[in-house]
Amino acid sequence: MNVFRNLFDALRFRFEEGGRFHKLYAFYESIETVFFGPVERTPGLPHVRDSLDVKRFMMLVIVALIPHLCFGLYNAGYQSRLASGLSMGFLPVIWSGIWLVLPMLIVTYVVGFAWEVLFAVVRKHEISEGLFVSCMLFPLTLPPGTPLWQVALGISFGIVIGKEVFGGTGRNFLNPALTGRAFLYFAYPVSLSGDQVWTVLSGARDTVVDTFTAATPLSVSASTPASQAVEETLRSVGYGALKLFGGLYPGSVGGTSTLLCILGAMFLILLGIASYRIILGGVLGVLCTGFFLNLIAGPDSAPFLSLNPFYHLLMGGAAFGIVYMTTDPVSATHMKQVKWIYGFMCGMLTVLIRVFNPAFPEGVGLAILFMNLFNPLLDHIEMQIRMRRRISNA
Amino acid sequence: MISVRTAKGYDLSLRGAPLETSERLAPPATLAVLPEHVPFIKPRLTVKEGDRVAVGDLLFTDKANPRIRFLSPGGGHVEAIHYGPRRVLRAVVIRREAQNEPVKTLGPPMDLEEIDQCPRSDLVERLLAGGVWPLLRAFPYRGIADPESVPPAIFVSLDAREPFQVPPERYLANHGALLTPGLRALKRLCPVVHVYADAARRAFCDTHKDVITHAVRGRYPADDAGVLLFHVRQSPKENSAWFINGQDVLLVAQMLQTGQYPTERLFAVAGTGAAAPRYVASRLGAPLKDLVGEVRCQTPRYTVGGVLRGYAGDPEGHMGLYETSVTVLPEPVEADFLTLFRPGIDKPSYSRAFLSALRRKPLPMTTNVNGGHRACIACGYCADVCPVDIWPQMTFKSILAEEVEESLAHGLLDCVECGLCSYVCPSKIELAATLQAAKHAYRKEQA
Repeated sequence: MNVFRNLFDALRFRFEEGGRFHKLYAFYESIETVFFGPVERTPGLPHVRDSLDVKRFMMLVIVALIPHLCFGLYNAGYQSRLASGLSMGFLPVIWSGIWLVLPMLIVTYVVGFAWEVLFAVVRKHEISEGLFVSCMLFPLTLPPGTPLWQVALGISFGIVIGKEVFGGTGRNFLNPALTGRAFLYFAYPVSLSGDQVWTVLSGARDTVVDTFTAATPLSVSASTPASQAVEETLRSVGYGALKLFGGLYPGSVGGTSTLLCILGAMFLILLGIASYRIILGGVLGVLCTGFFLNLIAGPDSAPFLSLNPFYHLLMGGAAFGIVYMTTDPVSATHMKQVKWIYGFMCGMLTVLIRVFNPAFPEGVGLAILFMNLFNPLLDHIEMQIRMRRRISNA
Repeated sequence: MISVRTAKGYDLSLRGAPLETSERLAPPATLAVLPEHVPFIKPRLTVKEGDRVAVGDLLFTDKANPRIRFLSPGGGHVEAIHYGPRRVLRAVVIRREAQNEPVKTLGPPMDLEEIDQCPRSDLVERLLAGGVWPLLRAFPYRGIADPESVPPAIFVSLDAREPFQVPPERYLANHGALLTPGLRALKRLCPVVHVYADAARRAFCDTHKDVITHAVRGRYPADDAGVLLFHVRQSPKENSAWFINGQDVLLVAQMLQTGQYPTERLFAVAGTGAAAPRYVASRLGAPLKDLVGEVRCQTPRYTVGGVLRGYAGDPEGHMGLYETSVTVLPEPVEADFLTLFRPGIDKPSYSRAFLSALRRKPLPMTTNVNGGHRACIACGYCADVCPVDIWPQMTFKSILAEEVEESLAHGLLDCVECGLCSYVCPSKIELAATLQAAKHAYRKEQA
């Protein structure tokens, strides 16, 4: 401990007023407070303050995401080696996964942090930890092996346009990670959509082995022939419900495992970090809409309409989006009860986009961004209702 | 007795509660009145340093309303008059005469029957002349009640849930007989007097069920008159109600019954920084040093009136008129190593982000802000705890945007200044102070 204390004490003056690197004080401060909690006396009213700060708040979200990252590493390596017909030992799989995912993560953090420091220095405020969560979420939404320059571009767009131009964390109305993800999706549709992008071939191969299904469950579902049930088709290519639940199938790095999403949701709700209203609302939205589509499905309609609603939570990133993306407190509704509506609408739009829009196999990201735009309106409505209920005092 | 349940709020579990012992302090050598901590007054001094004063002699009045008088809690001479920046009158210090302290008689003693028969205007005059009028305060700004007006109701809070205050059983133990005359006097001022206590004090509520009108169940600040007002009011007219604390009712009664300025007070001394946390009987305006005694930490902060809504008292200074507690907390000295990654079994928190959430046990606290200043991340904790259903995260933004109408519509004037919103904020935003300042600014504008 003393080693660190001495190190920071030795460096501190260079970053303080008059020091050579004073401009980078925000950077220094953000590193120091990782090791040592800040010391500042309260001005009173009240004299004591809660132990929770934003740093810990955000760190807990990152902790919840670490299993997704680890599983994502494994899954990326697993799919890659499976498609390439390589040996499937645990260590080689992990090793391949590390090579596929870790560079993306590192590039995201370096680029994202650089932008944040730049804005913090210019605006003369401290670095807000929301960034670390955005940078963790962003690569998890991408296909493994996304070109690193695209990763850098995506996170730059997400941080700068999604957040900083509006004033930084706390003032953004869109989820920064999703903004970056949507930007990449629309800017580079060729390299980020279709069946082939989700699996990276390794070794000398340039085509997948014959037994491997590269198509994601969502694209299988969307292209199910009219005479078949989606569940059957999924099963026939090896996507049983249990496999989808576990998440070992081609997809984005972190978003495939519904099991981990449930565990993460429980962790975040128990700790009071994520709003259970949004998550339950989202799940309800998916299920109700799926069920409603079942009801309106006729013999001639697309088989996707008749899909068991629970499959929508198992496939693709719906669960991941609902647990980690909708619950970003800043871009979610700020009032309490409309969180139900916000969550529900996110779930509903996700299913509607998936089923009715052939251009987008996955809809959760767009649904959330779309609902982000409506949140100020939802907040306004709830606030008006609350104000009307009050006995006026003015 | 009407049952009221307040839904929101939060009980801090702070270590350092006073021990169940009382002590009577020898009369202190100096006593003081602190005009600085009397809300909204502009004091006009009527004494100067060296003047001889008796207990009950006039020290200063309020320029805005000269009928409101502040009397000397001690007999002797004015030792010092302290000014702060911009000549704010901070303290008038009286050095007591050790023997034969002169006491002034302010009026004839009144018994219960006389109080009941006394015309309202006469009673107001008696309370003003007796120097106990400032103990009555008015919503929404919590300033001293206007003697010209008749309030829609008076709220009497017997309890205080803020850590750490004197519980009603204790201050009524020796002076319980004063409660009835005090309440009768209030009844003369306004026929509607709400007297309430914490419903969790079953035995206490039972023994005083003839005077208690409301039993309030809820977390801090359920004891605050503003919170009860918020829950029981039927129309906007009630917003100008008055309130008074339980111990202060006893002072009012004592003044009427003896015709002299009352000077006795029971204080709570608490906090991990105080070597002997306990209840102390002493005089109004007693020196903090005498009350606290030995201090156990290097850099103590004397929070006078409670750790949430009190003020930081000068260790060499004195108790104010309204405050009945002093809690000594250590100022933070050294940063914790890797505190970010610790499970936090000993970190007090409203949130469930620390292991301490699993055990509700009093924990030590310092006056550390415990985090860096960030923009609001809309976690919603402040709205979860706000006892009067304000959404501080929205209201503070409307205040900073100078949208006065909007912040009023949010319920700004209902704010009871309990400090919980600032306490729970992970972004360490000064919500309570912002709301309070906005209230005060609005009051100034109205005047």
